[in-house]
Amino acid sequence: MSHLLDRLNFLKSVRKDTFSDGHGQTTTENRDWEDTYRKRWQHDKVVRSTHGVNCTGSCSWKIYVKSGIVTWETQQTDYPRTRPDLPNHEPRGCARGASYSWYLYSANRVKTPLVRGALMRLWREKRKTMTPIQAWEAIQNDPAARASYTRKRGTGGFVRATWDEVTELTAAANAYTAKEYGPDRVFGFSPIPAMSMVSYAAGSRYLSLLGGTCMSFYDWYCDLPPASPMTWGEQTDVPESADWYNAGYLLLWGSNVPQTRTPDAHFYTEARYRGTKSAVICPDYSEAAKFGDVWLNAKQGTDAALGMAFGHVILREFHLDRQVPYFEEYTRKYSDMPMLVRLDKKGDSYIPGRQLRASDLDGALGEANNPEWKTICIDETSGQLVAPNGSIGFRWGEQGMWNLEEKAQGAEIKPKLSLILDEDRDDVVGVDFPYFGGMATTQWHKDARGDVLTRNVPVKKITLADGSEALVTTVFDLFCANYSLDRGLGGEHVTDDYNADVPFTPAWAEKITGVSRDKIIHVAREFAANAEKTNGKSMVIIGAAMNHWYHMDMNYRAVINMLVMCGCVGQSGGGWAHYVGQEKLRPQTGWTALAFALDWARPPRHMNSTSAWYAHTDQWRYETVTAKDILSPTAPEGDWESLSLIDYNIRSERMGWLPSAPQLKTNPLKVGAAAKAAGMEIPAYVAQELKSGRLEMSCEDPDAPENWPRNLFVWRSNLLGSSGKGHEYFLKHLLGTDHGVLGKDLGEEGRQKPVEAKWHKDAPEGKLDLLVTIDFRMSTTAVYADIVLPTASWYEKDDLNTSDMHPFIHPLQAAVDPAYESKTDWEIFKAIAKKFSEVAPEILGVETDVVQLPMQHDSPGELAQPVVKDWKKGECDLIPGKTAPAYIAVERDYPNLHARFTALGPLMEKVGNGGKGIAWDTKTEVHHLKALNGTHTEGPTKGMAKIDTAIDACEVVLMLAPETNGEVAGKAWKALEKATGQNHAHLAEVKEDEKIRFRDIAAQPRKIISSPTWSGIESEEVCYNAGWTNVHELIPWRTLSGRQQLYQEHEWMLAFGEFFVTWRPPVDLKTITVDATKALKSAEKHVVLNFITPHQKWGIHSTYSDNLLMLTLNRGGPVIWMSENDAKTAGIVDNDWVELFNSNGVIAARAVVSQRMKDGTTFMYHAQEKIVNTPGSQITGKRGGIHNSVTRAIPKPTHMIGAYAQFSYGFNYYGTVGANRDEMVIVRKMENVDWLDKPAKVEAAE
Amino acid sequence: MKTYRALSALLTYPSTDLQAAVPAIWQILSDEGLLKPGQLAKLEPLLTDLEKGDIYDLQERYVLQFDRARTLSLNLFEHIHGESRDRGGAMVDLLETYRAGGFDLVGPELPDHLPVLLEFLSTQAPEQAREILADAGHILVALAERLARRESIYAPVLAALVSLAQVDTSPEAEALLAEKDDDPEDLEALDAVWEEAMVTFGPDPNEGCPISRDILAKMDMPAAPRTSAPGQM
Repeated sequence: MSHLLDRLNFLKSVRKDTFSDGHGQTTTENRDWEDTYRKRWQHDKVVRSTHGVNCTGSCSWKIYVKSGIVTWETQQTDYPRTRPDLPNHEPRGCARGASYSWYLYSANRVKTPLVRGALMRLWREKRKTMTPIQAWEAIQNDPAARASYTRKRGTGGFVRATWDEVTELTAAANAYTAKEYGPDRVFGFSPIPAMSMVSYAAGSRYLSLLGGTCMSFYDWYCDLPPASPMTWGEQTDVPESADWYNAGYLLLWGSNVPQTRTPDAHFYTEARYRGTKSAVICPDYSEAAKFGDVWLNAKQGTDAALGMAFGHVILREFHLDRQVPYFEEYTRKYSDMPMLVRLDKKGDSYIPGRQLRASDLDGALGEANNPEWKTICIDETSGQLVAPNGSIGFRWGEQGMWNLEEKAQGAEIKPKLSLILDEDRDDVVGVDFPYFGGMATTQWHKDARGDVLTRNVPVKKITLADGSEALVTTVFDLFCANYSLDRGLGGEHVTDDYNADVPFTPAWAEKITGVSRDKIIHVAREFAANAEKTNGKSMVIIGAAMNHWYHMDMNYRAVINMLVMCGCVGQSGGGWAHYVGQEKLRPQTGWTALAFALDWARPPRHMNSTSAWYAHTDQWRYETVTAKDILSPTAPEGDWESLSLIDYNIRSERMGWLPSAPQLKTNPLKVGAAAKAAGMEIPAYVAQELKSGRLEMSCEDPDAPENWPRNLFVWRSNLLGSSGKGHEYFLKHLLGTDHGVLGKDLGEEGRQKPVEAKWHKDAPEGKLDLLVTIDFRMSTTAVYADIVLPTASWYEKDDLNTSDMHPFIHPLQAAVDPAYESKTDWEIFKAIAKKFSEVAPEILGVETDVVQLPMQHDSPGELAQPVVKDWKKGECDLIPGKTAPAYIAVERDYPNLHARFTALGPLMEKVGNGGKGIAWDTKTEVHHLKALNGTHTEGPTKGMAKIDTAIDACEVVLMLAPETNGEVAGKAWKALEKATGQNHAHLAEVKEDEKIRFRDIAAQPRKIISSPTWSGIESEEVCYNAGWTNVHELIPWRTLSGRQQLYQEHEWMLAFGEFFVTWRPPVDLKTITVDATKALKSAEKHVVLNFITPHQKWGIHSTYSDNLLMLTLNRGGPVIWMSENDAKTAGIVDNDWVELFNSNGVIAARAVVSQRMKDGTTFMYHAQEKIVNTPGSQITGKRGGIHNSVTRAIPKPTHMIGAYAQFSYGFNYYGTVGANRDEMVIVRKMENVDWLDKPAKVEAAE
Repeated sequence: MKTYRALSALLTYPSTDLQAAVPAIWQILSDEGLLKPGQLAKLEPLLTDLEKGDIYDLQERYVLQFDRARTLSLNLFEHIHGESRDRGGAMVDLLETYRAGGFDLVGPELPDHLPVLLEFLSTQAPEQAREILADAGHILVALAERLARRESIYAPVLAALVSLAQVDTSPEAEALLAEKDDDPEDLEALDAVWEEAMVTFGPDPNEGCPISRDILAKMDMPAAPRTSAPGQM
């Protein structure tokens, strides 16, 4: 409507008043025309929510709703203030998150439950005459019927279904699987619970009540840095981003903060205004590189070499030529550097052995409790051998001595760091160190100077308990030798000259990394000098880029060593800031109770995904890496070389190190019944049957049909589209559909086969009976599913959200009802549980399930195996929970599964709650929850607190967690005090009455409360920083020595040459095989590049890469990056379609040719969907793959260690990881771009 | 006019109810005579198929075409607003139109779902219905064209709507077809969609970034029909 006539066009009113010195005026003319603008921004309500893909940003947003429709969102700006000298946290948010809201109404949204048409047809046909269970059984027992839908996975053919129908089908499949094969054949995969805790918990609670398997993600994503649990006994703990501001020196190492940590990047900028200096290390000219005062463009994969050279300089200038008092005191108190190490004779020289233990010495130094787990040092004052407080032996079986006071047996001590002085040492001997520099492939600098370097070390002779003599040295002395530092002891392979061609000097590193020696020396000096002046305020921000290499532990330990040498860990403004994929779930112990149904049954079934997928997608059948390729020349005696990688995993599972899924070849419900029939206790029965061979562990024969995973739930995840390393193997073996595997398996190639794993000539294809994907968008995983369930998006559900980047907890909230027919994850799993309870009683009642449990970290089980012994090889007896996994009876009440799902079970009252090795009573909290959530008034859960809605579930988490309930925090700290004998309760005393509820965080984000679950504190004085309580509260690290463990002396660590950090070049994965290269025509132009998958600017963390707005900002489909020189070699120009391939599979993408790239590498940004703008491959004739089509998971034996202090299993804490950076691909220009849409039928993946 | 309701039904997810209703749909379409005989004849294959076809095949086809392919989405604003912020406002306006006409939305569909709109039109006076439909004319033209290119059996339904709306190929529709066309066989067109203008740093600092200028220009064009009074499409 025109407002022309409302305005004065020719006249000007004189009836006006002015105010504010004429800056303002009042008028009387009609102003209705302004309403158009007012209405544009009018809304009915504003709701607080966030974006829960897997973004650690954890930004609170305002969601505007008008007439029941979400209209736009803006950033929240009401975070509580922290401290006067710190910049504000807000505004937080990025372009990716801001473009999210229209996913809600996007055409890519899943609107209704979808079922593969062929399956629906079968199901409805059978259901006319059969019960749900019978119907599912009939379909599974008819191979042709089963193949009619499994073979069609990924090729379209969905029909809509009702919720009733689809939950019934799923429940029937689960019940049938539990009865026929065992409940542990029902798998569920969902990552990063911190982003939407209740959504995760919905599925994991259902699975845990069922006895199903919850799959890990952090290790599988390769975001878990195993170096962290190795060194600190901690999964990952890091400073909040605000603490960057407190740093004096920031080293950004393979982390691209401005691009991938957008909401936090301002702290990086602000720190520089404060005078903080910053060095950036990354091979490409990244966005972060522009922020650096200095940029070190090290060749990709050579970070450990660079880190070794930094360490060489720091040790030389700050520990040897001059001793910085702060560094010396820090390393003495907080690292294992003073601990003694035994040297074992091998040939003419010595190899590093185990750390000396009290049990090695006469009378165990008076340590009756766990003497084999107490490390030893020399007291400088008395000159005696002592077992200082704090080692892991003090943690279990006694109280009050597990602390970092410099005491032993109650007396003050001062541990001696070095035996270098003449009066301290008895001798100098040559010790063998492995050197792997000669194993580099053509892409990296080969330094073949011999695979063993012998260096001199000062030693002391001691007499052992058995009267024999042993040589010992300190970790510090061995450490200096490892870094090739000449300390005047003579011998080879050490130097005091930075320009010498000796491993780990700056000159040596220059050749390997391409970074000039003067820059290396410069940065090392500045890093350490700043730490000296500030007591440790030098920080390393580090990312996935360094952790995704096969030898990631070398990269990380090189960095960690620098930080420990300079006393940075545990100091505000200093330390190790690894921000990848962990996304701290702050109210953890409140959440685990809900998520794993610990209120009903313990333990849940947890599985490390890398080992599981490696076995079940049959990637092990194609393994190219042998143990010999990675073994150390200094390995102790053993059959190391005869084992393949899966054999190591099997032994690990057998000895109770890593978990198994499935666990036993026999249905665990049948095992439970058989034990009862035999009148035996479960552990004794299982031990007897395993020894006799009547029971077998599933891991020994992954391809036997009894051992297949049968049902798989994928929710909150795009397993097949983004994280599935070995994507094509998933398609071939797990799903049994079209795939692009080009290579041949070990049988076809006639290579060495595994000795522990049973080999079948033909590998199964299509192991899964049912794949259920729960998502709100048609992701790549959804495209391959049998059932797709539409879930609520982040503005449509109530949930909790926390991060490691800031100390606040805030919610997701339902601004509008779930669109179309979607439901929240909580309601979906509740509905499946309800159906399950209806259909299952036909075949399942109250059953005894036998759960297998590996030795757990933070439990006495971590002291189970001081030496490695395999019961199956007759080296020891099979004792469940000691030499083998524990076997535990768990009652499953299948008919009441739904009732249990929706009620807080009795164990919280009876047993209490806890985490990380401490436990406390929760009766008060259960009482409060009954009052808050209400109680059930009838049925089997009568009188128990309700967990009916997602908000009820949130309240359970908030009530039970110390981080959100001050009273619980007090109890938790007091529980820890018993172990440490120190006073910690002061950290949370003032918060006792603070109880954070869901409605509180809906009003405003709330700062969490300090808790012993974490190693930092929330206070008015310091920012959250990892290791703070270890250093300032003297709480030991959860490692063997109780200190930061730099020397790793488990037998397998010694065997694989990783007792210390060293330089290990990227591994030759041998994927450029004849099977791959035969696709090349003779003389066809191409180039072989190292394949790297970093995080992108347009679609990671807070949105997905099929977001049209973000695609528009990039190139609208899959792209790879390459350098100008490489492009020229391969005859490629910018924007050409190219094909990337190796024996694992094929990718089709466009090339971005850029000066930013280093020669020899190609980047393919992580998680670009194959559902958008992806043409067919010339080689396979199928649609091009995703970034994981050319990768394959390759587990590492050192990640399988267990039952050994910090090397003990914990879910998402330790285990094999899915490394993928060492991969090479052939890149060539595509001649024909075929979109595969010729047939009349529209292509599925369009 | 029940013709709209019949066409609405034809564009909904096939069900056994719909199969049973095919004779009734025939009846209405013929009785009301709103569609020309030629158009009616072209609808015959779809009607026959719906009536006689295997329900699972019909459903799979529908899901593939309308649920899975973004360019064939029956949510009209998907085509002009995509995932942009304007979509919410546009949907609110449309919802208000329904409310002004005395109706509220039930069920899971969004206001801009074409069958929803058609059902609403069936309650309106013929001329008014035509006007509202004409507002969405360019989208209908584009959809009709895309379905025809794919030789979809549903193409005649959209063709019929185009004819009912009495719209012809407009610059807006052409813009829509050119811009969003993802016909994968036409590689040059596809390239053009994603092609970026070269960045030049010319003497005129106010000229702005040519890339964003082009993108803005592309965005402007299809938005043009929304300049009609609020409350309409």
